[in-house]
Amino acid sequence: MTRLVGAEVFKLRTTRTFYGLVLGALGLVLLIVVLATATAGKGDVTLRDAIGISGFAQVFALLLGIISVTAEFRHGTVTPSLLVVPDRARLTLAKLGASLLVGFVLGLVATGLAALIGYLILDARGVANTLSSSDVAELIAGGTIAAALYAALGVGVGAIVRNQVGAVVGSLVYLFVLENLLTIAKPLRDPVAKYGFGGVGNGLTGTGDPTAEHPPLDQIPAGLLLALYCAIFLVIGIVLMKKRDITA
Amino acid sequence: MARAIEVAGLTKHFGEVLAVDDLSFTVDEGRIVGFLGPNGAGKTTTLRMLLGLVNPTAGSSSVFGTPYRQLDDPVHTVGAVLDGGMLHPGRTGRNHLLALAKEAGIAAPRVDELLELVALSDAANRRAGGYSLGMRQRLGLASALIGDPKVLVLDEPANGLDPQGIRWLRDFLRGLAREGRAVLVSSHVLAEVSQTADDIVVIAKGRAVAQGSLAELMARSGGGIRVAGPDTAKLREILVSGGADVVGEGDLIVRNRTGEDIGRLIAEHRIVVSELAPIGTSLEEVFFELTDSGSGGPS
Repeated sequence: MTRLVGAEVFKLRTTRTFYGLVLGALGLVLLIVVLATATAGKGDVTLRDAIGISGFAQVFALLLGIISVTAEFRHGTVTPSLLVVPDRARLTLAKLGASLLVGFVLGLVATGLAALIGYLILDARGVANTLSSSDVAELIAGGTIAAALYAALGVGVGAIVRNQVGAVVGSLVYLFVLENLLTIAKPLRDPVAKYGFGGVGNGLTGTGDPTAEHPPLDQIPAGLLLALYCAIFLVIGIVLMKKRDITA
Repeated sequence: MARAIEVAGLTKHFGEVLAVDDLSFTVDEGRIVGFLGPNGAGKTTTLRMLLGLVNPTAGSSSVFGTPYRQLDDPVHTVGAVLDGGMLHPGRTGRNHLLALAKEAGIAAPRVDELLELVALSDAANRRAGGYSLGMRQRLGLASALIGDPKVLVLDEPANGLDPQGIRWLRDFLRGLAREGRAVLVSSHVLAEVSQTADDIVVIAKGRAVAQGSLAELMARSGGGIRVAGPDTAKLREILVSGGADVVGEGDLIVRNRTGEDIGRLIAEHRIVVSELAPIGTSLEEVFFELTDSGSGGPS
């Protein structure tokens, strides 16, 4: 299995899409952290907010997970892959391992950089830091695990919706449009903030506002719930992978 | 000789469409079997079922007695090139092979050896999106050979190859069979296969319409006698009433009578003919006849 995970990481890192997404994620996070911390009025932006900006990396991790599956269907490389590894569950699990790994590293670098740059800029501007080093460690751990789990979720989504454009557009529309639209209905606001995909991400990263009207879950329950979502998507994805015909 | 491939009663429905209908054939070690049929006859679906990619509606297939998905070591047992892109356009040819080699636990030197073998060493580090069709086919062939397999399954491998490429492929397949490997090669162009294959399986509309050696196939549809002249309508009536198999109006082709048989009838009934000649059937005609010419549509 280690061999297969290695091969899947190799497949990811031998395309330009991968570098585009990774550099895009890190560039975007850095740019916004710098802009936010350097331009905001004193007291408007805290270190917690700066680290929270690295949540963008989770969306890119999700896309990487999706693409690790859908690119194979889009370009027909799934056929030679399955000829080498005919067990479709094993191939999907190898992609899961590779995506968890890549998501983890991406999340760690993104949150670590956001914390470091945010701290340096805020410190230079004389903004008081209220976070202890263990607080920061918890935020970085949360952001890292969130990115890894979002990448895993992407593998599940990709295995269910094999069409790359459909999977990418569908999941972005859901995350950024549909989930927000749901909160128009007042009784849904609290459950969406707590149990929605965006909500559990916010909870896990620990960057959500605990004093908000509809606060997210705490880090550990949010992380467990996100892991459960991943497991559900992956199980459905693997069942569909086994059942479907590979015709392209 | 060991049985390398066995296909038994394979059937596949895609919704309402019956793509493959109770198809059975075998391929022995050291033989090249040409799998022929017009486009849309069900060749690719059959090969994909054999390789565990498409789930059959009924029937089974196996390689050395084991279904593909249960093979212990698929890469070293079967190599396959299927129709279609099968390449990530952004990945270099060498990286494409390396990814498969890593998956199979095969070392990198084998990849360079194969790139050399299919004459792609120079293009190995270029992104595969810029490859010509022939280069893609050769890269596909290299990926099929990565585990030095005992059985090769090739779907339309000659597509996109120029005449030199086709000759190269022919010699290449011959060499593989001489080494004792079994080769199953599909094509919709008979000429590609006729000079290479030991045995032929012809399918049309998902069913096997003929199988056997080339010679047997030729014998099965053995020519006929062509008759032309002003009175062929009358001759036709006489022949048909005598139980002969006659094709055509005007110029006739008579299947199951010798030239002498027909000559006697002509003399007996005092019919004027301008031509009476045996026709040689080309393999191409046999193929068209077997597949009910054009059932797959012009493509």
